[in-house]
This record gives sequence, structure tokens and C-alpha cells, in this order.
Amino acid sequence: MSNVPRNLLERYAVALKSHFTGPDDSALTRAYELGRAALNDGLGVLDMATLHAEALRLAAVEGSPATKPADADKAVEFFIESLSPFEMSLQGYRESNARLMAMNEALDQARIGTEAANRELESFSYSVAHDLRAPLRSIDGFSQALLEDYGEKLDDEARQYLRYLRESAQQMAQLIDDLLNLSRLARSELKREMVDLSALARDVVAKLSQREPGRQVAVTVQDGMTARGDQRLLRVVLENLLGNAWKFTGKRADATIVFGTAAIDGMVTYFIRDNGAGFDMAYADKLFGVFQRLHSGHEFEGTGVGLATVQRIVRRHGGSIRAEGAIDRGATFSFDLGEKVFGANRT
Amino acid sequence: MDEKAILLVEDNPKDEALILRALKKNNIGNEVVVAHDGAEALAKLAEPNAALPQLVLLDLKLPKIDGLEVLQRIRADPRTRLLPVVILTSSTEESDRFRGYSFGANSYIRKPVDFTQFAEAVRQLGLYWLIMNEPPPFERKS
Repeated sequence: MSNVPRNLLERYAVALKSHFTGPDDSALTRAYELGRAALNDGLGVLDMATLHAEALRLAAVEGSPATKPADADKAVEFFIESLSPFEMSLQGYRESNARLMAMNEALDQARIGTEAANRELESFSYSVAHDLRAPLRSIDGFSQALLEDYGEKLDDEARQYLRYLRESAQQMAQLIDDLLNLSRLARSELKREMVDLSALARDVVAKLSQREPGRQVAVTVQDGMTARGDQRLLRVVLENLLGNAWKFTGKRADATIVFGTAAIDGMVTYFIRDNGAGFDMAYADKLFGVFQRLHSGHEFEGTGVGLATVQRIVRRHGGSIRAEGAIDRGATFSFDLGEKVFGANRT
Repeated sequence: MDEKAILLVEDNPKDEALILRALKKNNIGNEVVVAHDGAEALAKLAEPNAALPQLVLLDLKLPKIDGLEVLQRIRADPRTRLLPVVILTSSTEESDRFRGYSFGANSYIRKPVDFTQFAEAVRQLGLYWLIMNEPPPFERKS
């Protein structure tokens, strides 16, 4: 016989026989229950047919009068009842299948829409990069041409205005670049690998001091810091955070920057602390917004895109970033990359 | 066009003026032939009995035939395939740089917005490609 369990067959045969002889239809409830048990045991409709045939044969051997047309009807009735859990389950399956198909279709539509939007964004960024820069180049270039060729005919104020024009053009070019980088981040693929953060940080610091060899900054980078993340994007994070620390300690004679790691709330957390200009904690939530600046361009240069970029990268790694600070008392930026601390030696 | 000429392919008249100004300021006295779109650039290179320029400065976004296609056609023609071509453009898009070099650009320079940097870029470019660099041997029609 098939894979129909023996005891199920016996119970089925007993119930079927009592349906032949019983005064009412109470045995049909048993048929339904047995069908559900069979369904739960993983039996199929063909197993049920086998089960039914076997039970009929058993009933015949035991001398059931299953020969009258009425008994045949009763047998069919019992069989149908035992199959009804299968029918109901099939119905449910069909319905959830239809729901799934509808959801899949919606997802497909959404994916197609996203892809189209991405393509559009890409060509948009391309024209921004290319076409917005050309007029800026003209503004800057011809301002400089005026200064060079007609500078003697202009007074100091006029020459100052031309310098303002150039500064603004260059500032806008920087803004365009920063924004484009920010939008590229959203689209670029995240490649996770082991990254030596200590080495990366030292490289970034070396470039900062190359650019401003006159600055005296005491930078301490903890040894042996590693992280699982995208090397290129983590470099952008460190360039921005260390670059900020570098920039905002610009008015300190004893400028100090520390980059280290600690376990905070069970997460591997990295922090960059400086003793620079700091910021008012009342505006802490504004720090990470695009174009948000807490310092005027007079005090410190910047486009206000850096920290928004950093936050986006950190979030793409499944982590979060926080800032603490006080005016003239420095700032500390702490971020994690979604990696939990394991083992005490990690702290 | 003489054989010391620079073929400047540039559709923006203001960029053209700035490049010419930067060349002049840096005492680069080579003849500059300007083509304002890709088709004109190819026509100038195809002129019978004309010498090939010493250097092509090629913008990418051009009317009619874009810069990358101009570059491909230059490399496909046996007469011009060794011609030094420097892409001089606003774009630093990865795809442009990738295709630019794939199609055989000799160099890829992004036009800086800051004219001081722009002039310096043109100065170094002229120094390198017109003076330091030994041009490829062309089979010239005598």
C-alpha cells in the first residue's frame, strides 16, 4: 500500500462503517476531521483515494452490506467530506497565489519605475555636471580677463566686485560637484570588504597636512582599527569627518584630533573628536541636512554637503551617526556601521 | 592648417575665447584651427593636401557628431589613427572617462571653472604636447 499511515486507515474504516450503519450524519464530521489530519500529515488527494478504497475493502471484508445503491452514495458522501479540507486548502492556496501574483506585478511595476527614474536622474546629473559648469567658467574667466586687461581703468571697489564674482562662481562649481557626488552615492553599489580604517585615516590626514603644511595639528589615530565596509565610501566618510575636524580647529594653536573606536550600546563605534570651534547642541539635528551650515562662510568655508554625504554613507552600511559638541569646546562625531561587538577584546 | 597647428573642437564660443586667451597668455603661438561641431572637425581633418595638426583638443558634448564618435572615427582612419587627441571637457563622469580612454584618447582633462587653474592646465598641456612630446611619425604626402 501507499504511504497512508495504518492507524489513519483504521480510524477511517471505523468511521466509514459507522456512517453506513449510523442513524444520523454524525460520522461525516469524523470524515472531515480525518481529512484535515491527513492534510496536516502531508498526504495528498491521491493518498485519500487509496485510503478510501482500502477502507471500503476492509468494511466489505468485515461484512458491511455496502452493496445497496444507498450505501454507495453514503461511501461517496463520506469520501467527499474527507476531501473537503483539501478543497478548502486549495482554495486558500489559489487566493494567496493570486494575491502574491498581484504583489509581484506591483513590485515589477515599481522596479521598472525606479529604473526609469534612475536613468532619468543619471542623465539629469550628467547635464547638471556638464551644462551648469560652462556658464560658471565664463563668469570666472571673463571676470579674470577684465581684471587683467582693464584692471588699471577700474577702481579698487570695482576690482573687488570682480573678485566676488569669481569667488561665487567657484563656490557654485564646488557645490555642483558636492551635490553630484552626493547623488552618485545613492546609486553606487556597496562593496563590503575588510577596510583598514587606521591606515585610511593616516592617509587622509597626510593629505590634509600636505595641503596646509603650515598647520600644527596633533592627530592621534588608534592602531589596528578595521571595519567591514566599502573602502571607497569609507574614505569619503573619513575625508569629511577628519577634514571637518581639521578645518574647525583652524583657529586653535593647540589643535588636537583623535580618531578611535569604542563599544557603545553593544555596537562597534568609531569616533572622531576635536577641540575646535564646536557647535551649539540645540542645532545638532540640523548638522546632517544638505546645505545646512552652522558657521558662516566668513568663519569657515564649506558648502554644507559633507555631513549629509557622511550620514548617507553610514546609513547605507546599516549604521548611524551622532554628533556631540559645545561652542568653542570641540565636537565629537561617533558612527557605527551596523556591526555588533563580539568578544571583550573588541572593545 | 600647418603641421604645428592645434585643432580645437569646441562648440561653446565663450570656452573657445577662454582657451584661445589661455594659449596666448602662455605664449603658445601655434596656429589654432577651430571646429565648432564634430562634423566640421572631421571635415577639417579630411581636407585633401592639408597637413594633420600636431594636437587635437576635443570637447565631448558637441553638435551633430559628439566628441566620442569623432574620436572613434579619428582612430578608425589609418591616416589619423596616431594623432594625439586630448579630451578637454566639463564632464568627469566615469562613463565618459572610460569610453574616452577605451576609444584611444591620449589624455583626459576636465576644464576647471577657476580661470587661473584653467590657464595653468592649458599651459601645461601646451608645454607637454607641443614641446616635450615627440609626435608619432605620420606618412605625410609630399
